[in-house]
Amino acid sequence: MLSLPSESSFLIVVRDVAKRMAEAAGFDEATAGKVALAVDEATANVIEHAYHGQAGREVFVRFEDRGPDFMVEVVDDGDRVDPKSLPQFELARYVNEHRTGGLGVPLMKKIMDSVTFRRTARRNFCRLVKHKTRAEAGHP
Amino acid sequence: MGDLTVETRDVEDITLLYPKGYINAHTVRAFETELQRTLEQKRFKIVINCSALTYIASAGLGAIMGAIEEIRTNGGDLRLTNLNETVRNIFEILGFNHLYRIFPSEMEAISSFRQGDGAA
Repeated sequence: MLSLPSESSFLIVVRDVAKRMAEAAGFDEATAGKVALAVDEATANVIEHAYHGQAGREVFVRFEDRGPDFMVEVVDDGDRVDPKSLPQFELARYVNEHRTGGLGVPLMKKIMDSVTFRRTARRNFCRLVKHKTRAEAGHP
Repeated sequence: MGDLTVETRDVEDITLLYPKGYINAHTVRAFETELQRTLEQKRFKIVINCSALTYIASAGLGAIMGAIEEIRTNGGDLRLTNLNETVRNIFEILGFNHLYRIFPSEMEAISSFRQGDGAA
């Protein structure tokens, strides 16, 4: 479990750790880089939306190589966030509506095989799961 | 941790931006500042040379989206060059590679503007 201060200057740290952990789990460099981007996005969302940019808080990131897949969980004790309320990303609509933000969750969903959000009484959990191919899982 | 610098240079009416490092939620402000400075100077032909850009997160994609309307409304365009595989993949994930013209080299991007092809 990695614990980071809620400061955007540490996003590069979580990204680098995520990339190395994904590579250790069997993903190639390109895939591990995408996983790292998804984790960067999830952590940035916590800082901006759960903590409203407030410094002095903690973001927890847990990595687990589960064999057939690789799981990353980003945890915070900030305000409730509701990504389920976000509409499905569609590039044409995004352009026509002249939007500039809100790309983090769509990126995460495109990169990972599963992105789920849940909330306990005081914590938000963002779970990212990437399935492995047979080769990545170490099977011939 | 200073993780992004953005150098600029002008070639006639084209401004070239050279982001060095990475663009994410932490560093995007430096990138936006240079983009905005360019627009304030009424320079709307922009080439972003990504040869020293290691990766770009959604904040960076959003920063470009935030500028592109003003750029194209003023008859200009923003073009990208020298994308590494990581950066190219990120643009492709959400289809952003279809929104901008991407060239292998800076010279080709500059030539595309000089061929009277200033608009998107």
